[in-house]
Amino acid sequence: MYQDYLGEVKKLLHGKDYKVVGKNVIRVDAIEKVTGRAKYTTDFIIENALIVRAVRSPYPHALIKKINKKPAFKIPGVVAVIIGDDIPGENQCGYYLDDQPLIATDKVRYIGDIVALVVAKDKESAWAGADAVEVKYEELPAVFDPKEALKGDFKIHNRKSPGDVKVIKGDVEQAFKECDVIVENIYKPGSQDHAYLETEAAIAIPEAQDGILVISTNQGPFRTRNAVARVLGKPQSQVRVITPYIGGGFGGKDTYGPIISSLAAVAAEITRQPAMIVHTRYDSFVYHFKRCPFEIRFKSGATKDGKLKAIEVDYLCDCGGYAAHVIGLLKRAAYHSTGVYEIPNCNVQGIAVYTNNLPVAAFNGFGNPQMLFAVESQMDLLAEKLNIDPVEFRLKNALVPGSRTGTNQLLDHSVGIKELISKVAKKADWVKKRSKQKRWQSETKKRGIGIGCSWHGCGTTGFKHDWAGASVILNPDGSVTYSTGIVEIGQGTITSHAMMVAETLGIPYEWVKVELNDTSRMPDSGETHAQRGAFIGGTAAVDAALKLRKKLNKLASEILKCDEDEITIEDGIAYSLNDASKKISFNDLVREMYQRGISPAEYGFIKARRGYPDPDTGQGDPYAAYTFGCTIAEVEIDIETGEVNVLRLYPGVAAGKILQPDVVRGQINGCAMLGLGYSLTEVVERENGKMVNPSFTDYLIPTIMDKPEIAEFISVEDEYKYSGYGAKGVGEIAFIATPLAVANAVYDAIGVRFYDLPISAEKVYFALKRK
Amino acid sequence: MKIRFILNGETKVIDVEADRRVIDVIREDLGLTGTKEACGRGECGSCTILVDGSPKLSCLMLAAQLEGREIITIEGIKKDSDMHPIQEAFIKHGAVQCGFCTPGMVLVSFDLLKRNKKPSRDEIREAISGNLCRCTGYQKIVDAIEAAAKREL
Ligand code: FES
Ligand code: FES
Repeated sequence: MYQDYLGEVKKLLHGKDYKVVGKNVIRVDAIEKVTGRAKYTTDFIIENALIVRAVRSPYPHALIKKINKKPAFKIPGVVAVIIGDDIPGENQCGYYLDDQPLIATDKVRYIGDIVALVVAKDKESAWAGADAVEVKYEELPAVFDPKEALKGDFKIHNRKSPGDVKVIKGDVEQAFKECDVIVENIYKPGSQDHAYLETEAAIAIPEAQDGILVISTNQGPFRTRNAVARVLGKPQSQVRVITPYIGGGFGGKDTYGPIISSLAAVAAEITRQPAMIVHTRYDSFVYHFKRCPFEIRFKSGATKDGKLKAIEVDYLCDCGGYAAHVIGLLKRAAYHSTGVYEIPNCNVQGIAVYTNNLPVAAFNGFGNPQMLFAVESQMDLLAEKLNIDPVEFRLKNALVPGSRTGTNQLLDHSVGIKELISKVAKKADWVKKRSKQKRWQSETKKRGIGIGCSWHGCGTTGFKHDWAGASVILNPDGSVTYSTGIVEIGQGTITSHAMMVAETLGIPYEWVKVELNDTSRMPDSGETHAQRGAFIGGTAAVDAALKLRKKLNKLASEILKCDEDEITIEDGIAYSLNDASKKISFNDLVREMYQRGISPAEYGFIKARRGYPDPDTGQGDPYAAYTFGCTIAEVEIDIETGEVNVLRLYPGVAAGKILQPDVVRGQINGCAMLGLGYSLTEVVERENGKMVNPSFTDYLIPTIMDKPEIAEFISVEDEYKYSGYGAKGVGEIAFIATPLAVANAVYDAIGVRFYDLPISAEKVYFALKRK
Repeated sequence: MKIRFILNGETKVIDVEADRRVIDVIREDLGLTGTKEACGRGECGSCTILVDGSPKLSCLMLAAQLEGREIITIEGIKKDSDMHPIQEAFIKHGAVQCGFCTPGMVLVSFDLLKRNKKPSRDEIREAISGNLCRCTGYQKIVDAIEAAAKREL
């Protein structure tokens, strides 16, 4: 069932060097994007589309006593006012759990919970209509602290927690007795806004046969389709989702895409007219779900020879008013809580808790930046106690082929972390720069260097499905039509798919045209998240292309009268390796397929090679493969202002085969900056659970002026057998390592450790004052 | 009100409300959707257009301010049918990811290179400091502008 795709491809290519894969090509989407022709959701300007505006709760927790639609209809352009009871299908849009009505009917659970939709002919009427709808609430006691929520007498849902997770391995109690050093701390990594430049938006258009077409900002076209079908009470075949270019996702549109799409779809279904909803930047900041804040108690122990023995971790995830994405990120954090190290004894317990804060979303790293911030801070603290260099300490404990993870997964191959740490340390000149004696500093400026290591399972976490499709059609002129269920959110995945299809078929990359993402073309392919775009989606592409390549080889051998094994196809020419004069062009070969009635189209379909950890012990194989990251940061701290200036970053990844170095470099640079924001400046300030700094002036994402020097990334190509070309995912890994490295570098510079993120200038300033 | 202006080399006479935002006029009334709105309040640079040659934020301009002006949007900077060298450099140097910031970035670079044929890296940084990008980490955008300046495409 699980094919060794890497081996098969290598065999087909007769072990020759790749012609396309691993090279830099012009991105599929680049020309459209630089010329302004690329279409994003709101660029589909639909004549006479109705405008939808949500009526949102001003209270964090309240009963809805009465909704009076009438005043809205006094506004001339208002066409419809929709409340929860008007929803044609099921009023439910929970991501993992059915705990979230699309439009609240009995109570609201966070500021911004939707209680009605106003649909109008123009924006002004829609907004005025939304203001006019009268809603009577009865306020309930609200809670914003997850610990209080657990203890106190609050009833947000009929249970306090939407879910928990455990990883239990070995004998932790005994192991701690055998440890020479033990470190225990509480960490509180905070929230973060995705702040992608394109805000959330959706357009829904009634189609033939009672169908609905949705064009929206989403990272999961199939989940979006399924969500829309559910609220409309239609079969999934009646809903078609087109996902155009997306102006950044980072996980946020995975969570909010289905929700905003459902809002537009309900309005379009009820009015049977095109309807559109667009978030302003204020809406996006205040209402779209964000990174989950964690509170983690982390205890770790090692023996004096520097071997990690045990961890004991318990943590709370504040998920806000609904479970949304929390179950997945809660589990992912637990399954990665050993960090990139072999630790024989683990007792890890995590729980998500409902509060009246804004709910949480998927966000680059998905729980791992939070958990690994604790892990990597603990590593440095242990190293210090043991008087071992932090790099050396990590190398002593790093996972190697043959290691078992905290979930007892055997990592038999594709484990490049040890080599990666050594290489990054060497590139950063770690030994020299870490030595305090030679370090540059002045009266007011202190410098430091720190390391952070990360890992991230590729594909969704082992408690839900993970599969994807792709299709390849060979056209009679030899050009190729490719479709995927994966979405282009800026990460460059569709380019890597096109490259793999071209390489597998033996044709130039330019011959492959990637179609707009449309759910009616493809079987359910899951979401574009969890580093699965190239890893799972790309393997489906290879699966489809391989099927065709085998047919082409067979056909060529028949035409050229030679053995199938002799055939190779390169640059669009099929020929015999034994006699190069025996050849036929790719186009002729394809035309011959048509002539002989051999199907020139294939679907690929892949399921991730992994299991489902035991719910009581967390033991099992939650991911097919892991990508590893290591970043070293050099910082300079102004002790008069507390400002942390990151001077240089040295990123590295062990992400299997790098399919397109330029794309990966871009992702790594971008991730580094996203990570810097999380490390230093991005503070989601909240009052009663509502963000109160909702603008780019008050919520500071890095600008060019904050950009440190970022060294060329190190790559250890620890190929994974069961994926196309041995690639693993790369989109999240470099992000995760950045804050860990920065936090450790800050400590190295000033001797103050911060147990929460971000490390704002204010915090540093006061910490130094206290010191 | 009737407004007359030049858009990407073509004279336009349109009848719009004087207080309609320029970004809406360009995108919705004139159908040029290359200009992007990311904040609507002058904080991000995505909606940049060139007004009489200088970069302006179209989300902060009102239609009446278009009168008699010469406007260039992302759709209008190419030379004939070819791409502008800055656009080519953005492609070649991988300065495009999600692409939402790209039109604004290209237009401010266009303005920079017109004013300053040989900008230093610091001058490039300065020029794009009002433009946010969440995807690229800016490095390749600076590389691209530098290459375009040197015509090292
Ligand atoms: S949209 Fe005009 S500056 Fe952001
Ligand atoms: S490329 Fe996405 S915001 Fe710049």
